[in-house]
Amino acid sequence: MQKRTIYKSVREVILLLAVAILSISFYSCSQKSEKSSLVVKKKYSIYVLGKDGKEYIVETNSLDSGKILPEKQGVLLNSKTMDRDIIVKNGSYYHLNRKKAELSKYNVQDDSLHTVASISLKDFSIENYLWVGKDSLLLTGLDVKNFSQTKFVLIETGKMSLLNSDNLAIPQPSGKFTSMSIGFAELRKNHLFIGYTYHQKLGSSNYTTSDTTYIAELDYPQMNLLKIDKDTRSTYPGGINTVQSYSFNDENNNFYFMTCPGIALGNRPDLPTGIFRIKAGEERLDKDYFINISSSLVNNHAYGMWYLGNNKAIIRSERKDLFKGLSDHYSTAHFEFYLVDLSAAKILKKLNLPLDKGTRRECVIVKDGLAYIAVNSSTEGNFVWIYNPTTETLNKGLELAGNTDFIMRIDKLNI
Amino acid sequence: MNINQDLIERYHRDECTKEERKEVEDWLFAEDFAEELDLPISESKAEHKASMWNEIAPTPAKEYINKSHSFLFWRGAIAASIVLGLIGFGFYQFTLKTKNDSPQFVSIDNTSAINVRHLDSKGYNISVGPNTFAKINYATDSVDLSGSMLISPKKDVELIFKGNNKKISLKMGQTYIILNGKTNEDNFIVVSERNLMDLPPVLQKQIINQFSI
Repeated sequence: MQKRTIYKSVREVILLLAVAILSISFYSCSQKSEKSSLVVKKKYSIYVLGKDGKEYIVETNSLDSGKILPEKQGVLLNSKTMDRDIIVKNGSYYHLNRKKAELSKYNVQDDSLHTVASISLKDFSIENYLWVGKDSLLLTGLDVKNFSQTKFVLIETGKMSLLNSDNLAIPQPSGKFTSMSIGFAELRKNHLFIGYTYHQKLGSSNYTTSDTTYIAELDYPQMNLLKIDKDTRSTYPGGINTVQSYSFNDENNNFYFMTCPGIALGNRPDLPTGIFRIKAGEERLDKDYFINISSSLVNNHAYGMWYLGNNKAIIRSERKDLFKGLSDHYSTAHFEFYLVDLSAAKILKKLNLPLDKGTRRECVIVKDGLAYIAVNSSTEGNFVWIYNPTTETLNKGLELAGNTDFIMRIDKLNI
Repeated sequence: MNINQDLIERYHRDECTKEERKEVEDWLFAEDFAEELDLPISESKAEHKASMWNEIAPTPAKEYINKSHSFLFWRGAIAASIVLGLIGFGFYQFTLKTKNDSPQFVSIDNTSAINVRHLDSKGYNISVGPNTFAKINYATDSVDLSGSMLISPKKDVELIFKGNNKKISLKMGQTYIILNGKTNEDNFIVVSERNLMDLPPVLQKQIINQFSI
């Protein structure tokens, strides 16, 4: 009789436990669904490389103040499939997975990165992207074996469908030259300008670049080669703009691009870093316009350029006295930011920021006349600084703390 | 039945059938030979008899000794083998462990112009690029490299590179790209794979293709 009562109470306890477990799981499920229904379009995204090599994307509405710990507020990325050579637009991220030869569109949902759609992109290494319409993405690139055949793909990004793709008739490297780079693509009505140059391999870890900047002009959308313009005032026009920006249009559609012959890009340090222009309405380089950055007060090579508005730009330059070579170029804090007056074709001043780390970074956003500049300082931490060109003041904004080693890029996500 | 040397030997080895045994014994202990051996005319019967006895006489004794010898020998050998085997296995285990814990050096000469060679030791995962010679001395943590390699240490280490004596700190679990050219024109470069994008794109592309990363 006593035994039976014990059995009964044990059975009751088990039943109670089962009910408790079920209710907890229901509760957590309802919590999750509640969370996923809250789809908030954040304004900015920040790409962070952690101290332990982990990478995160953090979405936020403000860069003006506060502190973010990427390991808590960010989305942990799969570093095998994701990298910081991304295109960010209208809440989505686009990235080419080299191994799968697939360009995917991602969204952040429920604290993780979801693949929305993908498109096969075989034998294509992205050199430059250009939005030619709201949902039309033009990618210029090279073959993945020799990096010598220029090609393009035009993608409709809503469903990630292929609109057009072909090789381009830009001459392949010949003679001593073994590969090439495309540094910018710019569309003017029915004319596409593609800036490029050629490289020569010198050893297993050394190369150099032709002394010439080439600009091919093609008709669009037919993509026939019309003519090639050359300039030897500097070389290595632009760079891979999925990693960093090197060109822009001003309010009047004057197109500016930077050339980067320094060791981090062209490896022709004997030539100066410069800024070129194609005037609005014209179809060739402005031969009377050139800003020699290396011989200016910068006195160094620079990589990266962003338009601030009102004919002003921000450039990011290295300090050759502070790094030893390519091995410490990215890890040593040696980068400075300068303000450039494009109409006067001169360098105005150095921005009073801490020395920055990272060879190539998409680190400047301009919004409402203010420049948000992400700086990785060895001594002052990782901050987004706010430069106000009207008052010429600099203030510390959002801090990236915790596991943050490098702020690799900041992008406008939904603006 | 013919009594021959083979049969007699088999008799002494105790391999005869009952009939054969009886036959041999009858023949051996017979007062007289029932059968006469047919010999060629030129050969003497006495000589053959003598040589036959000479051949078979020591055989039983020899065979017996051999048998017991081989038995003893095998028993001992098996026992010894087991003991030696156990010692050997233990020693092998021990050396294997020491080798993995602190191997003296690893040397790879990849003469292929295209292929990458992979190596997984207890201390590092290494991929050696085409036309590359790499030698890692684990005792001194020094590296002699000519070419390109990817290295992923399984614990935090500091490596010293021969030629320029540069000391490089590598963190556990991260993969590093190391380039050291053969000519003076070449650069010496060490970067984490996560910072691949910081290398010049021309070198990036070369590394991506070489190591399929």
